[in-house]
Amino acid sequence: MKKRDVSWVVVLIVLLMFSLVLVGGCGSKQEKSAQDSSEHKEVMVEEGGGTIVIALNTDSIVTFDPANYRDRETETILRNMFDGLVTRSPDGKVVPQIAESWKALSPTEWEFKIRKGIVFHNGEVLTAEDIVFTFNRIIKEGAINGQTAARKGLLGPIEQVEATDEYTVVFKLKEPFPVILQALCHQQIIPKDYYEEVGLERFLEKPVGCGPFKFVEGKLDDKVIMERFDDYYGGSPEIPPVGPPKLKRVIFRMIPELSTAVAALKTGEVNIIQRVPEDMIEDLKQDESIQVKEAKGTRVYAIEINNKMPPFDNPKVRKALNHAIDMDKIIKELYKGYAVRLPGPMLPYAFAAHPNLEPYEYNPEKAKQLLQEAGVKDLKVVIDTEPFREEEALVIAEMLKDVGIDASVRKWEWSVLKAKMKEGSRQIYLTDWGNAYLDPFDFLNPKLKTGGRGNYSFYSNPEVDELLEKAGKEVNDEKRKELYYRAQEIIYNDAPWIFGYAKISVEAATSNVKNWRPSMDSRENMHDVYIEE
Amino acid sequence: MKGIKILERILLAIPIMLGIAIIIFFFMRLTPGDPVDIMMGKAGMVSKAEIANLRKEFNLDKPLHIQLFLFLKGLLKFDLGKSFTKGMPVMELIKETLPATIELALFAMMFALIIAIPVGVISAVKQNSWIDRFAMAGSFFGISMPHFWLAIVAILIFSVKLNLLPTQGRISYGVELAHITGLYVFDSIVTGNLEALIDTLKHIILPAVSLGSAMAAIVARVMRSSMLEVLRQDYIVLARAKGLPEWLVITKHAVKNALIPTITVVGLQMGVLLGGNMIIETVFGWPGIGRMVVNAIFARDYPLVQGVVMFYAFVYITANLIVDIIYTVVNPKIQL
Repeated sequence: MKKRDVSWVVVLIVLLMFSLVLVGGCGSKQEKSAQDSSEHKEVMVEEGGGTIVIALNTDSIVTFDPANYRDRETETILRNMFDGLVTRSPDGKVVPQIAESWKALSPTEWEFKIRKGIVFHNGEVLTAEDIVFTFNRIIKEGAINGQTAARKGLLGPIEQVEATDEYTVVFKLKEPFPVILQALCHQQIIPKDYYEEVGLERFLEKPVGCGPFKFVEGKLDDKVIMERFDDYYGGSPEIPPVGPPKLKRVIFRMIPELSTAVAALKTGEVNIIQRVPEDMIEDLKQDESIQVKEAKGTRVYAIEINNKMPPFDNPKVRKALNHAIDMDKIIKELYKGYAVRLPGPMLPYAFAAHPNLEPYEYNPEKAKQLLQEAGVKDLKVVIDTEPFREEEALVIAEMLKDVGIDASVRKWEWSVLKAKMKEGSRQIYLTDWGNAYLDPFDFLNPKLKTGGRGNYSFYSNPEVDELLEKAGKEVNDEKRKELYYRAQEIIYNDAPWIFGYAKISVEAATSNVKNWRPSMDSRENMHDVYIEE
Repeated sequence: MKGIKILERILLAIPIMLGIAIIIFFFMRLTPGDPVDIMMGKAGMVSKAEIANLRKEFNLDKPLHIQLFLFLKGLLKFDLGKSFTKGMPVMELIKETLPATIELALFAMMFALIIAIPVGVISAVKQNSWIDRFAMAGSFFGISMPHFWLAIVAILIFSVKLNLLPTQGRISYGVELAHITGLYVFDSIVTGNLEALIDTLKHIILPAVSLGSAMAAIVARVMRSSMLEVLRQDYIVLARAKGLPEWLVITKHAVKNALIPTITVVGLQMGVLLGGNMIIETVFGWPGIGRMVVNAIFARDYPLVQGVVMFYAFVYITANLIVDIIYTVVNPKIQL
C-alpha cells in the first residue's frame, strides 16, 4: 500500500477519534434529552391534539434568545414560544398581546397596561418587572453577558423602561418614535427571575417564555420541538379564537433546499412549507392533498441605479430607464404573476404609501427620446445581480438593448456585490430590502435618506431628507402621511431606481392543516392551527 | 532516538500550523464583504452605534495585526474563538456537526465500494460482454450526473413516488437514540436499538447513494482497467496452468493485486467525500460540517471558517505524522 493510501485511512481514523472524543463528552446530556422526549411522547399519546411539522427554508436559525438575533426564521420559531406586548394580525394590524391597552402620555412617553394572570412556562407570574427586565437587556449596552443585544437598533430612541406599578410600564424615548407599536411587535418577553436564576447559557438550553408553546428540545441547524402550554392565557383577544392552542406539538425543521421541502410536503413528512417557488405553485395546486395560500410580501425588489455616476446623475437618464423596462411583463412571465408592481419606492399596502402614483409607463420610444435629450450615446452598462435574480437581470439587459443601451449582466455573491456597490463603482444593480414595520420609517430612511445604511443608489435630496426627518418625529398620523406623500412624490420624479415589485409570498400545507393562514411577515403562528384527524 | 525524532516532527508541525493560520486569516479578510453589515441583513433599522458595538465585540475595530495576535493566542489554548453568526464557540460547532459528515462520507464510501468492486471485476472478467458494456455505460452515467440532480431525482422516485424512504433529516421524530459517538447508525448498533437502526439506515440511504455514486463510477472503471492489466500477467497464467479453479484465480490472485491502484483512488475520493458534500448536506437537510462552513464563508464568519480550516489542517498533520511513524514500524529501513 502506498503512503498516500495509508494517509487517507489514518485521516479518517483520526477524524473518527476526534468525533468520539468530542461527542462522547456530551453523551449524558443528550441521553437525557432522549429520555425527556420519550416522556413527552407518552403524554402526547394520552392527550392527543396532533403534531404539525413546519419546514423552514434556512440552514440554521441563530439562537433561542429573543433579544439577540436579526433573522426572520429565528423570529418565526421564537414567536411561538414567546409573546410580546403587542403583535400583528395576519393582515398586518397591530393588536394587543401581553399588553391590555396603551396610550401615549406625551410624544416621548408611552404607557402600557399589562394583562393580569399571565404565567410563563415555568409557572412564574408575568409582571411589569419582566417587561422592564426584557427591554433593559435589549437597550442597555453590554446587558447580555457584556454583549449588546443585536435587536437594540430596532427599538430606535427608546432609552428607558420603567414599572410604575405591578402591571404598568412606561417607555421613555429620546425623541418621538412614531413606529413604536410596530417595533414592539418584534420584541418578546422573557421571565426575569428564571433568567437571573439560571443565567444565559442554561436559558439557551431551556428557553422559557409565555407563548402558546413551550420548548421541549431543539438544535439550531436541525429541528426545534415544542409542545402546547396548557396554562396559556389565550393570546390576543383581537385574533380569535382566544384560549390554549389546539395542537399538542409543533416541530420546526430546517430544510435549506426548497425542492426537498416540496418533496417532504408531498410525502407528508412536513405539513407546511414557505417560499414555494413560482414554477412549483401550479403543480402543488393540482395536488388534492395539498392547499396553497398566498400572503402579501413585505420585501421590496428594485433595480437601483448609481445616482452619483454619470450619466445616471441625470434624472432624465434614470426616467428613461424606468420607461425602458416592461415590469408588468417581468412579473407576468418570469414570476407567473406572483408579484405586485410598485409605482414608487413603497409597498402599496404600507402605511402612508402614496395612493396616487402611477407606475412609469413602458414606452421604449419615450426612453430613447429622454436618452437623446440627455445627450447619452453609446451607453454601456453592466447590471449586477445576486444569482437568484439572474434571469430577471438578463431580461432587463435585453430590454435596455431595445432602447440602444449596450447592457450585460454580472452575477455576484451578495456580500461581494454589497461591498462593490458601497464603493460606488457599479452602475445598475438588483437589490431587495425588507419593510417589516410596513411603515416608511424603517424603509425610506435606510434606503433613500442621504447616507442611509441601505442607500446603495447614493440618492441624496435635501428636501427628501428633511421631510423624512420631520415625519420620523411626527406623532400625528395624518401629518406624517402628508410628509411621506410629499417625499414619495419627489422620489418618484427623481426616479433614483427603476421601481420594482413586491413578491407575493406563497406557502403550501397538507390539506389536513386547518385554520392556517400565512402571515404577511412570513411568521407561522401556530396558536389557532390544528390538524384534522 | 526515535522519540526525539517524533518530538522533532511534532515541533515541525507548529510552523506549518502557524503558516496555515496566517494564510486563512488573511484570505478571509481579503475577501470583500463586512461580517457585521451582512449580519444586520437587508432590512430595518440599525444604528451606527450598534454596528460599532458589534465590530468592537468581534474585535474587528482593532488593527489587523492585533486581530491576528488574538487569533493565534486563542489557538495556543485550543480556543478557536466564537462564531460571529451563531454566537457559540467554534469548537462546540465542529463537535456538533462533524459526526454527521463522517457518517455520511463513510456510508457513501461503503456504497461505492460494494457496488464498484464487483462491477469492475465482473466487467474485466467478462470483457466486451453485454454485462461489461452495460456496467461501463452505467459508470459513465454515474460520473456524468451532478450530485444535486441525482439527489433530487432520487427523492422524487424513492420518497415522493414510491414512498419508501424519507426525503431529509438523519432520524425521524419520535425515534429515541442515545448519542454516544454522534454516528447515528453506529450508536443504534452499539445500543442494540433496532428501531433506530432501521430508521437511521432509511435516512442515510439516499444521501449516501447520491454522494457515493460518482465515486462508485470512478472506482468501477479503475478496478476494471487494473483487473484487465493483472489478468494478463504471467502469474495469472501460471495460476491457471496449475489448475486452480477460475474463481480462485480471480479472487485470490487477480483481485488482490488489482486493488492496489483502486485503493489509491479510493483514498483520493475520500477527501472529496469529506470536503465536498455541502450540496448533498443541503439537499437532504443533513446537518454536517460542509454545509456549516460554506454558509460561514457566505456570512464572512471569520472565526468559524478559520476554526474549521485549522481543525482540518490539524487532523491532516496529525494523520501524516502517525502514518510516518507506522511506516518506521512496518519497515525499519524507513526513517522519520
